[in-house]
Amino acid sequence: MSEIISREALLRAVDEWLKQGVPVLGPSRINDAFVAYAPLASSDALALDGYIHPRNSIKEAVFPKHEKIYAYHIKGSGVELEDPERSVAKQIVLAARPCDAAALPILDHVFNWDFKDAFYNARRAATTVVTLACTEHDAQCFCTSVGLGPAAENGSDAMLLPLGDGTFEVRCFTDKGRELFAGKTESSGQAAKVPAGPPERLDVGPITEFLKDSFDNPIWNELTLRCLGCGACAYECPTCHCFDIVDEGNAAGGYRAKNWDSCQFEMFTMHASGHNPRARQAQRQRQRVMHKFSIYPQKFGEVLCTGCGNCTRNCPVSLGILNTLMDLAAHLDTTGAK
Amino acid sequence: MMENVYKPDLMEVIEVKQHTVDVKSVKIKFRDPERAARFSYEVGQFGMFSLFGMGESTFNICSSSNWKDHIEFCFRKTGRVTEAFWQIDEGDTIGFRGPYGNSYPMEEWEGKNLIFIGGGIAMPPIRCAVWYALESREKYGNITVVYGARTTKDLVFEDELDQWAEYKDVRVIRCVDPGGETPEWTYEVGLVPNVLRDAQIPADNTVALVIGPPIMIKFTLPVLDQMGIAPASIYSSLENRMKCGVGKCGRCNCGPVYVCKEGPIFSFEQLSKLPSDF
Amino acid sequence: MEQELRDTCKRLLEEGAVDVIIGYGQSMPDGPVCPVFIKKAEDVGRLVWNRQCFGNLATYLTRKEIKALGKPAIVVKGCDERAVVVLEQESQIDRASVYVIGMACEGVGDPPASKCGYCDVHMPRFADAVIGEVANEPVSQDGRYAELDAFMKKTPEERFAYWTNELSRCVKCYACREVCPMCYCNRCIVDKNRPAVIDTSSTPMANFAWNMARAFHQAGRCVGCGECARVCPAGINLRLLNDSLAKAAEEGFGYRAGMDKDTPPVIGSYALQDEEEFIQ
Repeated sequence: MSEIISREALLRAVDEWLKQGVPVLGPSRINDAFVAYAPLASSDALALDGYIHPRNSIKEAVFPKHEKIYAYHIKGSGVELEDPERSVAKQIVLAARPCDAAALPILDHVFNWDFKDAFYNARRAATTVVTLACTEHDAQCFCTSVGLGPAAENGSDAMLLPLGDGTFEVRCFTDKGRELFAGKTESSGQAAKVPAGPPERLDVGPITEFLKDSFDNPIWNELTLRCLGCGACAYECPTCHCFDIVDEGNAAGGYRAKNWDSCQFEMFTMHASGHNPRARQAQRQRQRVMHKFSIYPQKFGEVLCTGCGNCTRNCPVSLGILNTLMDLAAHLDTTGAK
Repeated sequence: MMENVYKPDLMEVIEVKQHTVDVKSVKIKFRDPERAARFSYEVGQFGMFSLFGMGESTFNICSSSNWKDHIEFCFRKTGRVTEAFWQIDEGDTIGFRGPYGNSYPMEEWEGKNLIFIGGGIAMPPIRCAVWYALESREKYGNITVVYGARTTKDLVFEDELDQWAEYKDVRVIRCVDPGGETPEWTYEVGLVPNVLRDAQIPADNTVALVIGPPIMIKFTLPVLDQMGIAPASIYSSLENRMKCGVGKCGRCNCGPVYVCKEGPIFSFEQLSKLPSDF
Repeated sequence: MEQELRDTCKRLLEEGAVDVIIGYGQSMPDGPVCPVFIKKAEDVGRLVWNRQCFGNLATYLTRKEIKALGKPAIVVKGCDERAVVVLEQESQIDRASVYVIGMACEGVGDPPASKCGYCDVHMPRFADAVIGEVANEPVSQDGRYAELDAFMKKTPEERFAYWTNELSRCVKCYACREVCPMCYCNRCIVDKNRPAVIDTSSTPMANFAWNMARAFHQAGRCVGCGECARVCPAGINLRLLNDSLAKAAEEGFGYRAGMDKDTPPVIGSYALQDEEEFIQ
């Protein structure tokens, strides 16, 4: 026995949630070529098919691109600090790809080891994630190479699996998911057939091993020549979480904020003295790949990547993690060793 | 109320002291006495110091952790935030987040002879350790300080060097680079590594703390090696660009080591295993 | 044409005339076309030429890691070549130290990119080697600003609402800046902090400030290659912004960036006939 929901019923549910004042973030058609996760104004804006993966990720729901962490008011030689509005209202992420949802439990580690980032945790607790299982993939997808798949449950509170006739099987994994869909589904004998997903493109194990001692390897210079040093990969990646802290305002006051940042920018590690440990793009690219496939696993036991392919799709020069990993794999094959 | 790890404590500036043409040190205390009562740190740790409207800078807390009524930091005027710090006065309010990072292994160092070697603006992170050791003088063996700067005008906390020399079995050697001396200079002239070598300091049962510009460290290590001090007994404090100070923003790491959490204090044995990403 | 390109590049490398070919290649088998850097004659087989050769490679001519590779040969389409002309005019490259391989181009993309419909530089004009031949008939010149003209019929309020909405998606990734050959400042204005004139945050004001500032800095310099809009991960219609200033340069001063190396750049020169009196 399974639970199913029709497309119409799902859209009605979206409008109901919106009417209750609950924000819903979901895939939305921005223009003819472009689907991205965006706050939905109504169920009309929701795109449930006709794309492989939205151009962005859902991490904005728990890790906004700009988040005020406190306001400051300057009064003479005194300063008053004001906490930002704290109540993070309940929100729903709807029709997230499984590779996007799987990023959230991975991110939990860094935001909670020792010091706890209460901003992240509050949003995380307030968010219900409903995934939409994939029925197809493209050449950039490699979720199956990092232990995930088209219906992976990591990070999902509930999942919609297309049945091919416009209805969806609904699987609820947590209380949040069950609560969200309570009374909205019907019982059925239909069960979704989950496709196999992309073929495993490479074996990440040997690469992770190689990366441990790869810091001084000249191969980084070769692999990364075309990188332009923008932040497109990091910002559209579901697991990238590096951030900047800035003060913005004037002499009377302003605020301090956490903003997305990218290790690919030259300014990322620039010291005030002008010294920059990662002055060359090759060094910055090395940091990116090592952070995802060597440093994060060493510290937290999981790779910092869900194989969604967004980096390659968004990269102006199609560099991306998959490309780099495959070049590394080819290098390992030809050289036989590190 | 949510605990906000990014929100600083408000501090009152008690004293600003200028050391050189571009170096000042600042004494601050918590505006909130309750917070002051709850606060403690281990010598060697650092903090993120805020100038509201400008930003935060990372500085070592350069006062001894035994001093309870204030903390100190020392900085060189280099960039946007430090230029703004240059303008602060007694009574002003700044922010402080901390203490962060690891600390000098003062307990491990008990019973040993200590050599402190510093160059230029690197004196402050050494100064706190020296005072801490002097404040429990009997726990440590002989103490030697070798401190040099480019010119006589670049020495920082110079008056305290005199005070240290008053303590029992404390030898203070100060030097300036050749050409940096004035006619009145009665102390050593020479680069720190050479002055260290010529000082012929006994090195049995000794640990060394070396902080300074990379070139000074590069030439000091062989001298310490010649003296018979193993890399595991030589320590330094790393500097790397930081923002959050709490191991999240992803920029201060050297390989898998986050300098803000597992450092900034490392032995050279540990440093030799780190990629040179600093 | 692809084979002729490879043969030309092979010869250039074998003769030592250049140290590196900046061209198009395959990122992965069956993967998208991407920039490649060929340093050895035996690797010229990696070079491709087809309708997927997006990308204005002129942006690499001012990047320090690429300059360190030595004397380059660069593969350009007509639109890219305009950027090479501007770089020469702005003294960012020594033209004699760059070997320009111009490709006759019928258009990129399938269906063709909109910029190709009104292109009048299908044939390269200043290249050291030209490969292929194609009719260089400009389609009606009116096509060039058609989208802009239609947009400008909206009221200011409508246009402001449009840009507020578009720019709300900007994440400050600066992909637009990095692909643009004309954005070569060592320290971009948005990376300066003494003072910080443009906030780095992604807020409505700061997103406007960044995108407007970049458009202003492109005034009279933008060659209309459209790369900024193509690569924007947020799908913002950046070409429309840059076109508005390109049109102002063309209508006000008869100037189109990169069309003719001997016409002085519009921002860097004046003529006595210019309207403004203060210049006289």
